[in-house]
Amino acid sequence: MLSKLKTNAAVAIASRVNILYCSRSFFSRTLLCTFLLVACIATKAQAEEGKTYTNSQDFQLHGFISQGIIDVNGSDFVNDDGELSTELTEIGLNVSYQLTNKFRLAGQVVYLDGGNRYAQGARVDYALLDWSAFTDEHWQANIYLGRFKNNHWLYSSSRDIPFARPSIILPQSVYFDGFRDIAVGSDGIAAKLSHSTDEYGNFDFQLSYGSSPISDEQTKNILSEYAQGSAEQDYDSQASLYWQPAFSPWRFGVSLLDAGFTYDSAGPAKGDFFYDSGFTFQFYTMNAIYEGEKWEFSGEIYQQRFTIDGFYFPAFKLDNIGQGFYLQSRYKLTQKLTFLARYEDFYLDKDDKDGKELEESTGGAIPYYFGFHKDITLGVNYDFTSNFSIRAEYHWVRGAGRLTPVVAPNPEINNSEDWQMWAVQLMYWF
Amino acid sequence: MLACLVTRQVAAIEVVTHPQVTQSSLTKSQLRRIYTMRQLRWSDNHAITVFVLPSQHELHQRFAKERLQIFPYQLNRIWHKLTYSGLGVAPTIVKSEQELIQAVTNTPGAIGYIGEATLVLLRQSNNDSRSQEPLHMDEESKVSSQGVVNVVKIKD
Repeated sequence: MLSKLKTNAAVAIASRVNILYCSRSFFSRTLLCTFLLVACIATKAQAEEGKTYTNSQDFQLHGFISQGIIDVNGSDFVNDDGELSTELTEIGLNVSYQLTNKFRLAGQVVYLDGGNRYAQGARVDYALLDWSAFTDEHWQANIYLGRFKNNHWLYSSSRDIPFARPSIILPQSVYFDGFRDIAVGSDGIAAKLSHSTDEYGNFDFQLSYGSSPISDEQTKNILSEYAQGSAEQDYDSQASLYWQPAFSPWRFGVSLLDAGFTYDSAGPAKGDFFYDSGFTFQFYTMNAIYEGEKWEFSGEIYQQRFTIDGFYFPAFKLDNIGQGFYLQSRYKLTQKLTFLARYEDFYLDKDDKDGKELEESTGGAIPYYFGFHKDITLGVNYDFTSNFSIRAEYHWVRGAGRLTPVVAPNPEINNSEDWQMWAVQLMYWF
Repeated sequence: MLACLVTRQVAAIEVVTHPQVTQSSLTKSQLRRIYTMRQLRWSDNHAITVFVLPSQHELHQRFAKERLQIFPYQLNRIWHKLTYSGLGVAPTIVKSEQELIQAVTNTPGAIGYIGEATLVLLRQSNNDSRSQEPLHMDEESKVSSQGVVNVVKIKD
């Protein structure tokens, strides 16, 4: 109850501040005020909980707040007018409550504002019942029921947690913000089996099955701004396996995803240009991470298959195989200062890497550069304390393959093959 | 000056548990499993409650590297994932060594760590308050018999 009130307060303040932002004046002052205000609430919450902390681990309250500025030139990634934006707000509050020895309740509410990147507002990030089905010195088996987070890719579970992910903007080919609400988790059932031995190291095997609700705003983001009907995710099944050899700085993982969607057209009478249709999406990844004292390397390589049956006209068929990878390196110069460099390369159709066929087949309506997405990122992170950091980064992007809307792109705003962005973000968590 | 020298000489880190924890020794990998939240119960099936200092605390940095052989940022990553994705529960963070000792003393099934220098001080003050009998540094059972904390042996 208490935590709920706090959540509401945090979200209320955030949205009020957001209205202030619209005026664009006193921008930096407002930024600072927001941060301090909500940080105050958060710290107060922490202080209150501090007393129970020392007595039990049964109830835990945690949260984070972050605010940044972001400037994109040459695309509608964040906003349409290309001006400096404060639409880089992430606030979250979570609780974990141990019901019994074997059952635990956990939930998190987040408020996100990322401009065009995803729908602005508060959402239930996860709300689950965790059944610790089996646990001993070497094995752990858990079943999660409810809304759970996608834990299958390298950064999928921490993509909204500013300080837990490697950069402000993640590699869009895997962590595409346009798909965020669908990819971030599901309503359904998930299972995790962990095994740990001195000889072979740590194994984590996970399975999940469920679906995500798709809002009208998201339907427009993914399909087209003219899609008046409703989209639904029918199913999303995923599996992943991670292995870290005993006492090794390396960890390796593989993941599989299969998802199906349907689109119910509102019909031509209601001005919907599009037809009833079915979509499938399959995604396979392999990843590796090396965590050394100073250097850290990570990368994911992936292949996706996307099919459309209908949509443009009833007999329309599309079957594309896209591929990509990113390589990332981080260097910890001191305990507090970390540098980041990353290269990402992704194309939507492996038989049309330069997008020329895409342009030809659409009679020039969709330019070739919508067929790929390449991003060179440089960044820096400074930790003021154990739970207060600042981060800055610059992206040089080539291609519009990871901009929304996805299925029917918008080449009028995104009329440039090359675009850049920079962002600075302050983060506090407890 | 002398105190400073002494502190440096006895700067080892001790792993401590609640006095009711029956396990008197842990292997290095057991300790690692406990702190990476891969082992959640003691051998008698009681739940383990893990306490840590803030990640930038000097003692935490040393504990992670020397005792767990994990870099502090790796621990943060594991714990953040548990805490902010709902997968599980991460260790409880307390602000100071004194608070940590208090937490371990008051929480059945608790595990934590303190600098040896603090442990010595703790024993002395504990001893002073209960009896005038001098206490030798190596008599680890004394502390536990007086109900403060257990010092756990870490085996390779």
